Amino acid sequence: MGRETAEQLSLEIKTPPTDSDPLANRIANHLAEHLTELGIEALVNPIETEELHRQVLINHNFDLYVGQFPQLFDFGPDLLYDFLHSSFAAERGWQNPLGVTDIDLDELLERQRKTTGTARLEAVFDLQHRLADLQPFVPVVLPDSLTAVRTDRFTSWQAANPTTPLGLLSLDRADESAETLRLATTDPRITVNRNPIAAEFRQYGTLTGLFYDPLVRFDDDTTVPWLAETLDWSSTPTAVTVQLREDLTWHDGTPITAEDIVFTYRFLGDTTLGEAENPIPTPRYRGRSTLVDEVEPIDERTVSVEFGDITLAAAEKALEIPLLPEHVWTEQAEIATLVGIEVDGETTEALIWNNPEPIGSGPFRFESATEGERLELSVFEDHFLVDNEPTAIPAAFHSGPMFDSLEIEIVASDASAIEFLSAQEGDATVAPLGPDIVPGIEDEPEIDLIASQSHAFYHVGLNLRRDPLGNPNFRRTVARAIDKAAIAEDAFLGYADPIATPFAGTRWLSPDLEWNDEDPARPFYGENGSFDSEAARESLRDAGFQFDEDGQLIHQPQEQ
Amino acid sequence: MTLVGVLVDLLVVVTALCLIASVVIIGPERLARLRETYRTRLREVYPETGVLVAILVVNALVRDATQNISWLVGWTITPLIARIEGGFVIYLQSFANPFFTAYFSRVYVYGYVFLLVFPFIAYAALDDRPVLRQLIVAYTLNYGIGLVCYILFIAYGPRNMFGEEIQSLLYVAYPQYQFLTTEVNVNTNVFPSLHTSLSVTAALLAYQTRDVYPLWAPIAAVLAGSVLISTMYLGIHWLLDVIAGIVLGVGAVYLARLYTDPGQ
Repeated sequence: MGRETAEQLSLEIKTPPTDSDPLANRIANHLAEHLTELGIEALVNPIETEELHRQVLINHNFDLYVGQFPQLFDFGPDLLYDFLHSSFAAERGWQNPLGVTDIDLDELLERQRKTTGTARLEAVFDLQHRLADLQPFVPVVLPDSLTAVRTDRFTSWQAANPTTPLGLLSLDRADESAETLRLATTDPRITVNRNPIAAEFRQYGTLTGLFYDPLVRFDDDTTVPWLAETLDWSSTPTAVTVQLREDLTWHDGTPITAEDIVFTYRFLGDTTLGEAENPIPTPRYRGRSTLVDEVEPIDERTVSVEFGDITLAAAEKALEIPLLPEHVWTEQAEIATLVGIEVDGETTEALIWNNPEPIGSGPFRFESATEGERLELSVFEDHFLVDNEPTAIPAAFHSGPMFDSLEIEIVASDASAIEFLSAQEGDATVAPLGPDIVPGIEDEPEIDLIASQSHAFYHVGLNLRRDPLGNPNFRRTVARAIDKAAIAEDAFLGYADPIATPFAGTRWLSPDLEWNDEDPARPFYGENGSFDSEAARESLRDAGFQFDEDGQLIHQPQEQ
Repeated sequence: MTLVGVLVDLLVVVTALCLIASVVIIGPERLARLRETYRTRLREVYPETGVLVAILVVNALVRDATQNISWLVGWTITPLIARIEGGFVIYLQSFANPFFTAYFSRVYVYGYVFLLVFPFIAYAALDDRPVLRQLIVAYTLNYGIGLVCYILFIAYGPRNMFGEEIQSLLYVAYPQYQFLTTEVNVNTNVFPSLHTSLSVTAALLAYQTRDVYPLWAPIAAVLAGSVLISTMYLGIHWLLDVIAGIVLGVGAVYLARLYTDPGQ
């Protein structure tokens, strides 16, 4: 073979279409424009959210993508464990979609699980510095989560994230005749698929969180025992004895037992339940399932969970995963087949199942769904918040849900959502609204806007498996081609903060990575919105990249 | 205004336009004759109408399913289109003003439906040639070929591609129309533009019948031209979608002519 001829580097940036996420789309266009000025052929490719998740998370078929981290609030260091740890590089889902393999990162991710106090904080600071060096993904902005609510039928909307399960449960009724809480969302995926472990269909898992209860919920930093009545912690090694509340049942009436808890942890680690040669773990909650070493039933409603060599603070997050009923999900443990043919031995029925009639144990049970239009839920009469039996219920939720049913209406756009509320057909919006709609809300005296900081930071993910994205010098230049401050100001109209680290806005933020007029780690090449492509070119030249006489970045194509 | 409201509104406007056009363009004499002959006319086009209705029903039923098939087997051509034609639609939108936005939004919704529906009445009133059949066959070809293209090609329109540079002018100015368009379309179905191809079909047939309806030919031409521009002005279609739509429209009329008038 002779020498391959070099050609212009071409990169594709995958993003949701404007209809689904105008903000991600604008970041993609902003980056594409600057990469083009750099002599790279940069193409924006809009793709439907569900398909985008499939291509990026499941098939790893992407150069760059723009998206949000799948965590709305309560962001902590262990959430990056699945996202970045090299041991997950061969798996599919939210665990290491970027193909990161860095021993230092691994060590820091492990260390923050094993340390407490300042030692843990230092590990998290070091982790942030390592990320700032490597830039496996470029954190762009931390958006405000915008929700529109009416207060004439229901009041006491939480000041932050009012439409999460806990937020909805703490609502009060203003109008005694109001029996149905009506929500609007622009994301139709819940009307198609209600599988809590399907990565393609879930954003933050807020809506499936209505069907599926965990053992423990977290309200800010407070631990709220949920299905668990008591938690008895012991250390060295870290372990907990969990006792379930009395008389808990699944939505189909089957009692919830210790075996269901044992099953859930086993299933998350391997959805084939040991039937396949290699385990097929779930594409969500992967990191948390690795926290757990062993789960043993003690009696009907007690289990002991052992965590191995990690701290209590890291361990308790493992109790936040949704519990799955064994009698429903064992049937889904088979290797998935397409018309009788095994697809590729890589997936189980459980991961591609639409779960049309979810059986969980949450405060709401499934009633009906019309694809692309509507979802109807009713209050689960046997839920511990609802059944009037005396239990130790956290004070804020003492009264149980103040409505009998819940309707989620799919609307075409933010504007339609506001129109829906203004026509008194809806009480609140679920999916975060775009900032463009804010003036429209201010014109409506009966609609209130709730802005709360979301931790679903927007980022540009780079596929490190593909040349030259595996080169950290190249990734740093990509990071410095993004004017994060301008994006926060122009695209998000100020309803976002530019960030240098995913820990911005949390108590974990490393002080020297706090935003101060510019990115402290990877400052934008240019100022006042204009991109200094010559400076960026220079940095690439220094890193060994070459440009032809037309200024195009040339690149030796690799055999893929 | 919800979906029902938008539909009633559309029905009222298009009915009014058709009534006026019937009197002015078709004329009282032909209309009077149509009252006696319409049953015969309809009977003559039963088979073709059956096929058109079948295609429309299938299209409505399988729209969501074909969407999934499309992501499996289709070719994602949005970046390719953008690379070929660049910022033409952005350039077009640089002329935006409230008058144009109002005009093109109404043409896109009311003008288009009127342009497609009125020929049914006009050509039913023509008893000496098979233009009604040609119209129905041409519409059928448009939908049928369009549906196949939508499975083969996945493309988003400029409004879904260009972030801030392109505005979805239709939905910004008239959010209520979104109820209608989401009901009848999917946002990856832009190549080719069926708004364009069906409008071109109607306009070509209007030209073909200019000797009997001399007034309809220029009206249809202006309406079709406006629909073409509106699809791009409103940020819904690319120039390449429109060009492909013109090719499809011309081809459909030609093939329909071969079908109804094989001697030609």
